Amino acid sequence: MTELAEVDPLVTETADRLFTQVCDHEAVQTAEAVGTAPEIWSAFAETGFPWISIDETCGGSGGTLLDALEVLRLVGYHAAPIPAAETGILGGWLLADAGHEIPEGPVTVLPNGATDVKGSLSGQEVTLTGTCIRVPWARMAERIAVLLEIDGQNMVASVDPNDCVIHTMTNMAGEPRDTVCFDNVKAPASSASEANPETFRFRGALSRSALMAGAIEKMSQLTVTYTNDRVQFGRPVARFQAVQQHLVWGAQEAALARMAAETAAREANRGLASFEIAAAKLITNQAAARATKACHQAHGAMGMTQEYPLHHYSRRLWAWRKEYGGDAEWSRWLGKAAVAQGAEGLYPLITGGSSVLS
Amino acid sequence: MTELTEEQVRSELELVLERRSADTRLTTMGAGSDDLEDGRQYLAGTVDGGWHVPTWPHEHGGRGASPSQNALIGRLLREFIVPDLYPFAIGLGMVGPALLAHGTQKQQDDWLRPIASGSSIWCQMFSEPEAGSDLANVALKADRDGDEWVLSGQKTWTSRAMWADWAICLARTDPGQPKHKGLTMFALPIDTPGVDVRPLTQMNRDAHFSEVFVENARALDAWRIGDIGEGWRVAMTVLAHERAGGGSRGGGDGNARGIRVPGWISDLRDLGVAEDRLWQNEVVKIYSHDGVSRWTSQRAADEARASGAPGPAGSGAKLRSVKSYKDRAYLSNRSAGCYGMLSDGHGYIETMTAPSMSIRGGTDEIQRNILGERVLGLPGEPRLDRDVPWNESRRGLL
Ligand SMILES: Cc1cc2nc3c(=O)[nH]c(=O)nc-3n(C[C@H](O)[C@H](O)[C@H](O)COP(=O)(O)OP(=O)(O)OC[C@H]3O[C@@H](n4cnc5c(N)ncnc54)[C@H](O)[C@@H]3O)c2cc1C
Repeated sequence: MTELAEVDPLVTETADRLFTQVCDHEAVQTAEAVGTAPEIWSAFAETGFPWISIDETCGGSGGTLLDALEVLRLVGYHAAPIPAAETGILGGWLLADAGHEIPEGPVTVLPNGATDVKGSLSGQEVTLTGTCIRVPWARMAERIAVLLEIDGQNMVASVDPNDCVIHTMTNMAGEPRDTVCFDNVKAPASSASEANPETFRFRGALSRSALMAGAIEKMSQLTVTYTNDRVQFGRPVARFQAVQQHLVWGAQEAALARMAAETAAREANRGLASFEIAAAKLITNQAAARATKACHQAHGAMGMTQEYPLHHYSRRLWAWRKEYGGDAEWSRWLGKAAVAQGAEGLYPLITGGSSVLS
Repeated sequence: MTELTEEQVRSELELVLERRSADTRLTTMGAGSDDLEDGRQYLAGTVDGGWHVPTWPHEHGGRGASPSQNALIGRLLREFIVPDLYPFAIGLGMVGPALLAHGTQKQQDDWLRPIASGSSIWCQMFSEPEAGSDLANVALKADRDGDEWVLSGQKTWTSRAMWADWAICLARTDPGQPKHKGLTMFALPIDTPGVDVRPLTQMNRDAHFSEVFVENARALDAWRIGDIGEGWRVAMTVLAHERAGGGSRGGGDGNARGIRVPGWISDLRDLGVAEDRLWQNEVVKIYSHDGVSRWTSQRAADEARASGAPGPAGSGAKLRSVKSYKDRAYLSNRSAGCYGMLSDGHGYIETMTAPSMSIRGGTDEIQRNILGERVLGLPGEPRLDRDVPWNESRRGLL
């Protein structure tokens, strides 16, 4: 067994500093109104962060998956309105996995379960037809990495979005989730090595757990600060026990989500992590539901307005909770995995995680 | 007025209203509906019979109904299409009853009938930046000037202000009195010079509440509701009616006679999730809670109408109906799976609105404080500022 890696503290520090500078409330608000945030993206791209964990020989920035997920946690923490997961550990990974060139700009992917896109292969070129909804930031992508099965073979096509018709749409948080129509779109395609619908689905869930852990933590901190400043009945409302209970819920959920997301990240960094990822997505989903309730309640009316930043986090959490597997999907997955181990296998599964499943 | 039988009421209502069916869906209070016209037409059509506010006197747009007759009419109204009356709710449910309790004859003559007929919309200018849960901390001041008052200050979260003709406005007339004692209630035309309404956008993208800036706005003394220094008492009447849901008649999604399955459940069935046994469990839990919650609200409203003064039961009713709303919204949204995350997804507007339900009209925590103190007789919250002049206590005593 390899040693568990640690996050490079320089990654945390640099990414946090960058987002603190470029992603304040105004910037996030503007990005939602405009539909994209080119300045935030350029600042982010300049650091090479989008391509962490993608091999330098393929045009990536190198570094570990663990570091890439740490960056995603901070993207969630700052509600950074950029396709960070899509360009890196999802789309970038798919392209690199099949030996495609990594473009300089943002990349996106077709999320699981949202696509009816089919392809037919002729030589090194695939022709794609169909529609995919909920495609993150398709409107600003330079490439769409399309994973599809052709004749029992997993292929990755690198599609130029200019060849597609894109209808803009948003998720609950106002983030781009566009509809992409492929009408006989031709694109270079090659065989995947690791990538298949299952590994992609788990990576998707992993990316969302990291984002969500960050967002819950920020939400909890905002709530502590706000309720300590907000005076009613002559004292900060944080002094009321009823409010303190909300604060404790928020903080508990933040700690729980982060622990689950980081455990999954560490395991994924060294290999098989399906159990930890499934658990992490389910835990962050449920933590998001409880934490948004508690934090909104403690804020009173202020939390309902667009002028105050709470909604950047709560709305993202509601949306991300449903991407790459909602509660029911991962509960079922975990339930099946546990049942398959039998009674004797349950405790080893809980303590040993994915290593037991292999 | 003689008591009508169930059949008589139903056939009278059939003359002015359309029956609802299982497909009738209700819009969400204060979100997703900007439609004033439907409500106006409904109120204009029911005012002569006094059907919407039956307990009000006939000359003011009611029919002087007894509590039992009123309850019957309320129940039967649910068989008919009653539009979202959100824009009119402050007048119908809160200001109207408060005027009947505290208004002068002239105020009642001038203001009640237009409320009942939908021709005038009222908003509630209570909350301020420093006065949310601590409503008695209101700072907007009113200074007497002969037969007039001069109002200055700022209100916030004023729902419906951009549609309103009138506001009911809580103001400080004597800062030297303890905070509950120096308040006075006014009615104020929203187009009074010096009143500036600036809409705020909520996270559900709805811009139905506003900041209202008031600078040297002049109100006639004839618009004062209740005595000088009695503003808190009037405010309590208004708020108690708000909690008891006095304004909302009809509605109750799928609550109509002959419609057993409420709309939100049929929608889940259409989404294809109803097969799932865990979902069925959740649905039934909410459905049962909904039933209890409706009866609680009904009981609180009936008690309120019978005694003329809503009591703490309204707080229980509000807690329950808020929980119902939130549970339904979150389950519906979750049931749509990944499609639910889109901004046109199933249950989107309800999910975005849900957190506000346990805040507006007094937070859950405040409702529980009321129940704890007034129903269970538990020790009260420490109220250090009770007997201290407001101009000393307003900045906090701790
Ligand atoms: C959608 C919406 C519409 C509204 N419409 C109107 C309107 O038309 N007119 C109007 O006047 N107002 C309106 N309001 C304002 C509403 O009445 C206030 O939001 C509410 O009274 C709470 O005040 P606050 O928001 O300042 O929260 P705060 O009072 O700041 O409360 C913050 C948190 O502290 C808790 N808290 C405060 N005091 C205590 C205590 N003593 N014990 C325990 N917990 C406590 C609260 O429960 C809450 O969780 C509206 C609000 C919303 C969200």
